[in-house]
Parts: sequence; C-alpha cells; structure tokens
Amino acid sequence: MSTKEVSKSSIGSAVGTTLSYIVFVTWTLITIVPLIWMLYSSFKSNEELTRDIYALPYDMLNNMDDEYTVIAPSLNLVYDYNPRQDKRERLIIESTTIAPGRRMMVHFLLKEDLPSEIASRQPGDTVVIGELPRRLRREIHWKTVWFNYRSAISRAKLGGKFINSLIYAGVSTFLIIILGSMIAFGVSKMRFKKLSAVVIGLIGLGYLISINSVIIPLFLMLTSVGLTDTHVGIIMVYTAFGLPLAVMLSSQFMRGLPNSLIESAYIDGATTFRTFWSIILPMTVPVIITISILSALGIWNEFLLVLVLASSDATKSLPVGVFSFSSLTSTQLGWQLAALVIATAPAMAVYFSFNKQITKGVVAGAVKG
Amino acid sequence: MNKRDQKELMVFLGMIGPGLLVYLFIVAYPILYSAWLSFTDFNPNSGGDWSFVGLLQYKTMVEDPNFWHAFKNNMIVVAVSAFGQIPIGFVLAYILFRNRVKWGHFFQAMVFLPQFLSTIVIGILWKRMFAADGPASRIIQIFSGDPSRQFDLMLKADTVMYPIGFALIWMYTGFYMLIFLANLQKIDKSMVEAAKIDGATEPQIFTRIIMPLMTGAILVSAILAIAGSLKGFDLIFAMTTQGLQRNNAMVLPIFMYQTAFQDYRNPMRFAYGSAISNAIVIISMVMILFSNWVGSKFNAGEDY
Repeated sequence: MSTKEVSKSSIGSAVGTTLSYIVFVTWTLITIVPLIWMLYSSFKSNEELTRDIYALPYDMLNNMDDEYTVIAPSLNLVYDYNPRQDKRERLIIESTTIAPGRRMMVHFLLKEDLPSEIASRQPGDTVVIGELPRRLRREIHWKTVWFNYRSAISRAKLGGKFINSLIYAGVSTFLIIILGSMIAFGVSKMRFKKLSAVVIGLIGLGYLISINSVIIPLFLMLTSVGLTDTHVGIIMVYTAFGLPLAVMLSSQFMRGLPNSLIESAYIDGATTFRTFWSIILPMTVPVIITISILSALGIWNEFLLVLVLASSDATKSLPVGVFSFSSLTSTQLGWQLAALVIATAPAMAVYFSFNKQITKGVVAGAVKG
Repeated sequence: MNKRDQKELMVFLGMIGPGLLVYLFIVAYPILYSAWLSFTDFNPNSGGDWSFVGLLQYKTMVEDPNFWHAFKNNMIVVAVSAFGQIPIGFVLAYILFRNRVKWGHFFQAMVFLPQFLSTIVIGILWKRMFAADGPASRIIQIFSGDPSRQFDLMLKADTVMYPIGFALIWMYTGFYMLIFLANLQKIDKSMVEAAKIDGATEPQIFTRIIMPLMTGAILVSAILAIAGSLKGFDLIFAMTTQGLQRNNAMVLPIFMYQTAFQDYRNPMRFAYGSAISNAIVIISMVMILFSNWVGSKFNAGEDY
C-alpha cells in the first residue's frame, strides 16, 4: 500500500467520522430538544409562554416581589380548604402577574397569621409578597413554582389516574408473569408434545392481533358481562394480550434449562407445581425482568382500551386523563405541559435506570415477534 | 392411558389451563366474534337484533370514500415507516456499529428514548409544537424575519400528513436503529477485517458484506413497520383535534374508532366497524406476505 493511498483513505475516514458526528448530534438534538422544552416550559406561566415561547422560566420562580390584589369571595373560586367546616377568617388574594383576573392563582391567607395592618386590607387593595411573614412567603413561593403542576393534578385528578395506571401495569404484569410462565413450563418441560404444539400455535396467533383490532367485540363482550368501566375487565384484557410475548420468551428460555434439575426434584418427591415454583421460576428471573419491563411499559402507555372501556374517573388511566385534560383546557398551555411531564417522568426514570435490560428486551421481543 | 398418565395430564392442564382460558376468552374468541359481526347487521340501538347480510358491510366499506381516504393516509404512514424510519435507523445503527462516534451508548439511549414515552403524550406534545402559535411557528418567524408567519401545515388537508410523518419518524426511528444494531453486532467482525486487508473500501464493505447479511433484518423491520403502521392509532389521534383536522389526517384505525364508537346514529356501527378492523388485519397480512415474497426474491441464491 502506497503512502498516497493511506492519506487518501484517512481523509475519507475523517470526513466519514465528521459526517457521523453531524448525523448523530443532529438526531439526538431533534430527539431531546422538544422534551427539554416541555420540561422547562412546564414552569412557565401562560403569560410568559405567550410572550416568548422559548425563554427560560422566570416569573414563577422569582415571585418574591409579586403583587397581589385582595379580592372578595366569589362563586368561581376553587378553595384549597373546606369552607363549610373551616370558618376562620381569611384574606383572599389573587396574583396580578399570573393569570390575573381569572381566579386561578389565588391564596387564602388566615387572618390570624397576618399582621393586623395587612389583615384589615379591603378588596381592591394591593398586597406585596415581600411584606408577608416569612413562613407565608415561603409557602406562596413553592405554591407559585409548582402552580402548573398543582393545577394539573387537582383539576385533571391526575393523582387517582396515576394510581390506576400503576394498578393496571402492576397487576397485569404480575398476572402475565405467573400465567405466562406456567404455560411456558407446561409446554417446554412436560411431555405432552402434541398438545404443547397446539397451545404454542394458538398463542403465537396472538402476535398478529392487537387490542386495537378486536376492540369492538371486546367492548360488546365486556358490556354483556358488566365488566366495562371496572378495573377487573381492563386488567383481564391487558393480561390476555400480554401472554403471547411472555410465553414465547420464557418457554424459549426454559427449554435451555437442563431436564436433570426437574428429574432430581421429582425424585426428592416435589410436586410439579412445587418444582416449577421453587426451582424453575427463580432461574427464569432474567427473562422475567425483560418481560416485566416490556409488558409494564406497554400497558402504562396503552390508550385505546381505556378510552373505550372506562367512562368514569375511577377507572381512567394517566394517558386518557392527560388526553381529555388537554382537549378541555387547550388555552392553558402551562398546565398541559405539566400534565405531560407528570405522565412521561416515570417512564423516563424507568428507562434511564434499566437502559441495558430494556435495550436487550426490546430486541428479543421484536425479533421473536 | 394409565392412571399415572392421566394424573400427569391433569397437572399439565392445571399449568396451562388458567392462562389459556383467559387467552382464549379475551384474544381468540373476539377474533371469531369480530368475523361473525362483520357479516351481520347487528343493531345495538334496538337491543342487538341481527341477521346475516353477507358481504354488505364490506360492500359499504369499499364504496365509502372515507375508507379510501383513510386507506391512502395509512399507506402514507406505511411509506414513512418503510422509507423514512428504516433507512435512517439503518444509517444510525451502521455508524454505531463501525464505532465512528464516541459515547455511542449515550447517543443510542437518546435516539431510542421516544419509544418509551406514551404515544398519546408525544402526540399532544407535537400538537403543541406544531400549533399556530407554537415553537415551530416561532422558528419560521425567526428564519423568515416575518413575525406574522405561521406554521400552518397541520391546518391544511393536503399538507397535514407532513408534520405527522415527521412525528412518526421522530418517535419510531430509534426502534429500528436498535434492531439493526443488534443484527449488525451478530456479524463476524473478522470478515470485515479480512476484506479490509484485501483492500476493500468502505463502500465496498458496505455493499458486498454488510448489506447481503442484513436483508433478513430489513425484512423483519419492514414487517414490523407495516403491522405497526396499520394498527397505529394513538399518535395521529392525539396530534389532531376532533372534527375537520382529524378527518383530514384520518387513518384506518381512527376511521374504525369513529365509526364504531362515535357515530351513534348509525345502527350498524359495530358491524361496520368490525368489517373495517377485519380489513385492517387482512391488509396488513397481505402486505406482510408481499414483503416476504420481495425478501425471498432478494435473498435467492444467497445462503449464509
């Protein structure tokens, strides 16, 4: 190889490397910039978002000099305490910078906590945060910083929906693991080969069918047995549709485990179920982790089933809650962004803590499919 | 069959029974139910009266201009997956495979991230990004110097699929990158090294060694892209507002949903909806068989 060729190829590879970096840096930026924008903008008030959609949050984080107006009680106030039981006198103040005049950013200060001069102010008078006692200042500071989040959680009732999503993902994944690995044990470690082949074939068909393609019959069936709008109905559907992946991955893994393990357990007098539970299942843990991550995240993000089956707040999941919240409050961009962050943050946390297993699991799941 | 065999069969059934029953009831039975429903005029408004009507629902479907509009949009989505997500995913995977960038793992994690976020949430996010007063409009204003310019592609019937296509690529490219990377890593590196020693250039290595070995992975990706695109509902549903905009961007699953669950006046809404969802399954099977056939043509005579 002559020196000329070497230098030519090294120029070529330098160009290649530079191009590679450009491609990757560009793509990474395209991926994460919208997410970063979503995150920091969720700390901006609507006024700030209208003024400059890209600026960093400022108003809500630096609120020590904010001016408030004292307002009279009115019907459109959302109280953060129970006004029927708590009859103590309060000074109601509303922000003049964040959603002024819309009765959204309102605080109910106990008059007994205030110096008498401030407590005696009348509707229309101004209160500056700086003149309040230190404890109230801090309280209002944090309430202002988390204003979008507090509003999203309380108005969209995201707390209950968050718990519903956890229940759906958690319980269904648990059932998928148990039922799926029992089937996998049956078909891979017991001697009914023909029956097993039929079962595997039936379950393999499940790969072709998604919840979306049978949503109408599912709705009619569950309506006729009264299971729409119940946790049980929704969990049953998620469990059934999670089984194909679980059975395929875990039966493949179990086939690789030596039969002598099971034989020696039988000789020691263990029942089949006992053998499965105490010997095989613990050895299947690596695959179980993969299946759990894939199933739980799939269910966490699923939308159409809950949209069709759930009609009350008691059964709606987080994606459905965030979706209807965003259709109802399309003018309150800040609240919506906060709701989006609430819905993505748990998935992101799981993603970054289990990145390696997830990567492996997705490839395994996809290639088997 | 002796007693011991019988007992073992019972145990076997005990192991597979619970899961299989749930599966048969929730997954297998609805498939038959859906097939039956599509041949009837099942009327939920009059307590579920029905009679067989043969292919009436399918006939209505092929004569319905909305169906063909949704079909066309769905084909655009398939094309975006096949000719957007897959090639970009391949390029990204190839760069990672040849170790052309440092922090490969970091880049990989970032590009794959959107896959793990709720499609609905991503849809709402992009809807906001592409809103008339949103960040995309702002970029246009900055670059054009005209403060009244707006990003209006989402608002016009003939351009609405462009921003949606962009969001689809944004969302799913990482997935294909990961599949290609996993398959590339299975390739024996000594083959590449040997070719280099024999004086092969980078393009030669790519076209003569890598590509032939990757046809299988490309085929799998194509199948996943077709199946995924045809059942994809969430992203477009969340990116569009109910009414004209969603109708402009309608794809088959949304058409099915609107027919079955929002068109209450149609007495045959469930029967017609089932015909549509069966059509979706059939279309995706036909397309998958077709890409298998194309794949086998390419692979002819190349055995590794």
